[in-house]
Amino acid sequence: MSIVEQYRTKVKELLSSGQVKMVIGYGAGTTPDRRRPLFMRSPEDADKMLLDNACIANLSGYLVSEGLLSDEKRVAIMLRPEGVRSINILAAESQLKAEQIVIVGFDTAGEELRAIEGSEAKDFCALIDSLKESAPLQAPDPLFERIVQMSPQERFNYWQEEFSKCIKCYACRQSCPMCYCRRCIVDSNQPQWINTSSHTLGNFEWNIVRAFHLAGRCVACGNCDRSCPVNIPLRFINRRMGMEVLEVFDHFPGMSESQEPVLASFKKDDPETFIL
Amino acid sequence: MTRILFADKLDNCLERWRSAGISVIGPVKKSNSSGYSAVTKAAEFDFNLVLPERSIKELFFPQSEPLMRYEIKKQEINTSEFKAPTSERIIFGVRPCDAAGLAIDDPLFGWDYQDEYWFQRRRETVLVTIACTKADDFCMCTSLKLTPDSEKGSDILLRPLENNSGWQVEELTDRGREAFKIIADLLQESQEKAAPTAVVEEKFDLEAALAWLKEPENFESHFWKEISMRCIGCGSCTFLCPTCHCFDIQDEGDTYSGIRRKNWDSCSFALFTMHTSGHNPRSTQSARWRQRIMHKFNYFPGKFNLNSCSGCGRCSRQCPVDMGITETLQELSKLLR
Ligand code: SF4
Ligand code: SF4
Ligand code: SF4
Ligand code: SF4
Repeated sequence: MSIVEQYRTKVKELLSSGQVKMVIGYGAGTTPDRRRPLFMRSPEDADKMLLDNACIANLSGYLVSEGLLSDEKRVAIMLRPEGVRSINILAAESQLKAEQIVIVGFDTAGEELRAIEGSEAKDFCALIDSLKESAPLQAPDPLFERIVQMSPQERFNYWQEEFSKCIKCYACRQSCPMCYCRRCIVDSNQPQWINTSSHTLGNFEWNIVRAFHLAGRCVACGNCDRSCPVNIPLRFINRRMGMEVLEVFDHFPGMSESQEPVLASFKKDDPETFIL
Repeated sequence: MTRILFADKLDNCLERWRSAGISVIGPVKKSNSSGYSAVTKAAEFDFNLVLPERSIKELFFPQSEPLMRYEIKKQEINTSEFKAPTSERIIFGVRPCDAAGLAIDDPLFGWDYQDEYWFQRRRETVLVTIACTKADDFCMCTSLKLTPDSEKGSDILLRPLENNSGWQVEELTDRGREAFKIIADLLQESQEKAAPTAVVEEKFDLEAALAWLKEPENFESHFWKEISMRCIGCGSCTFLCPTCHCFDIQDEGDTYSGIRRKNWDSCSFALFTMHTSGHNPRSTQSARWRQRIMHKFNYFPGKFNLNSCSGCGRCSRQCPVDMGITETLQELSKLLR
């Protein structure tokens, strides 16, 4: 049985047995290369489900929007390993209870689509441990290397040009599973902390605030980067912040639901090299 | 015989217009993103784009526009107004749906008062449109009763030649004629044939969709929840749309001095129409998506007898979750009234 068929059967079982009220997965999109989120509520819906290498979006953000989980009923969701990590972070930050989420795991790394065993976030710990070990060896990217090599002034100019394209549509925030704040700081207007204007300064403020809030929380799913309508390479910002957090605090976000958030916790032996 | 502008004369045209004090803007791709930007050399144009990612509206209605500076002192309040910058300009290589989008927004910006920020730019700009010879899966001008060579909103319509060496010139307005007088001797009479325009199939039955939207009881239909389940509430579709025109007035600065600005706003945002009390009449994403559709295809036509959509397809092309006007209107037109 192919993975798609195997998972269609699984989705049907989950729904017909009443174990979950909904399965969030992928369906066909407008064009052959596009997939779109699919919300399956009856066993027949599973026939519309697709699973292949084009299923790259991290869908976990839907779990925490508009009170989906408030009735305590379980919801199943199709996730790649980064998605499982974001579930762990959401659980660690008290946004959901990991037991309420049934994970239908798959991976597309290395071209080959494969199913991953497990049904709750904790079943994936060994896999995520191994990811931490390989994280610093992430696929090299020539543009990323170039940005790292730049002098601070060159780098500033590079990002200034990139951010000047930003239209403050907040697609990066809305697509990010870690951006669940009910009222984002840029939406707080009593007082207005951050300019809402999309001029260069305002764009800088926005992107820097987001970068800091994602440091040690980003799971590198790439949702923000793919959503940005003006193609700002947002992945590089979060990747650099992630490297920093790993080096300084040995922290790899989303290892387990009990992992403390790195910037919201304190250990006596934390290095303080960054304090001037 | 028709008048032809050959592409190899384009640099001369730019030179002529520049000497006449007219700046030229066109479809350009830079830093991995495309839009309409200033052009000084013909090589900078990218006429191969089906459509620039960012629409033309930012050139008339910028994403952030300063309106006035204020200063509050003990005994007095000083204000000074910002005016829209004046400059004669030609936008060369506009797509028909973008030109139509501007024409759709004219009545809106001139409805209860004349928005001079918009109209001054409109008066000073000549739109030189190039008919489309290719389209992608998202183009849907024909569904909105426009065409890949629609003249709506344009001052000049250019039709690409079959051999791609230039364009047939059709002058549509006096403003267009004025601008082309400057380059009249650079045009040539020729028999070259124009390439066929792109084939864009109609994607939905507009009349059926409009009729459904008009029925008051459909406002509460379950349809809205179903169709918008996956909307994540970003501003991509509204900000890239050539006809979406909502804005927010913001004071930037402090109580004593600062700048009042007009910034793009989006009905997709949770903050849109949020009251001071915290109550929001559109508290769910489905209510916000309904607003976008109703505004474009029910309220706007009710007021101006026009649909607030030119069919450019950007809202579907660029939506991070593959939603968009096309899907919604397709589904709507299938519903029984
Ligand atoms: S998605 Fe891109 S354009 Fe939109 S706010 Fe984020 S960085 Fe800016
Ligand atoms: S910041 Fe971007 S890459 Fe990181 S978790 Fe959020 S959406 Fe994913
Ligand atoms: S329809 Fe798409 S682009 Fe528009 S707000 Fe929703 S998710 Fe964003
Ligand atoms: S609603 Fe969509 S298709 Fe219509 S003009 Fe706006 S972006 Fe283009």
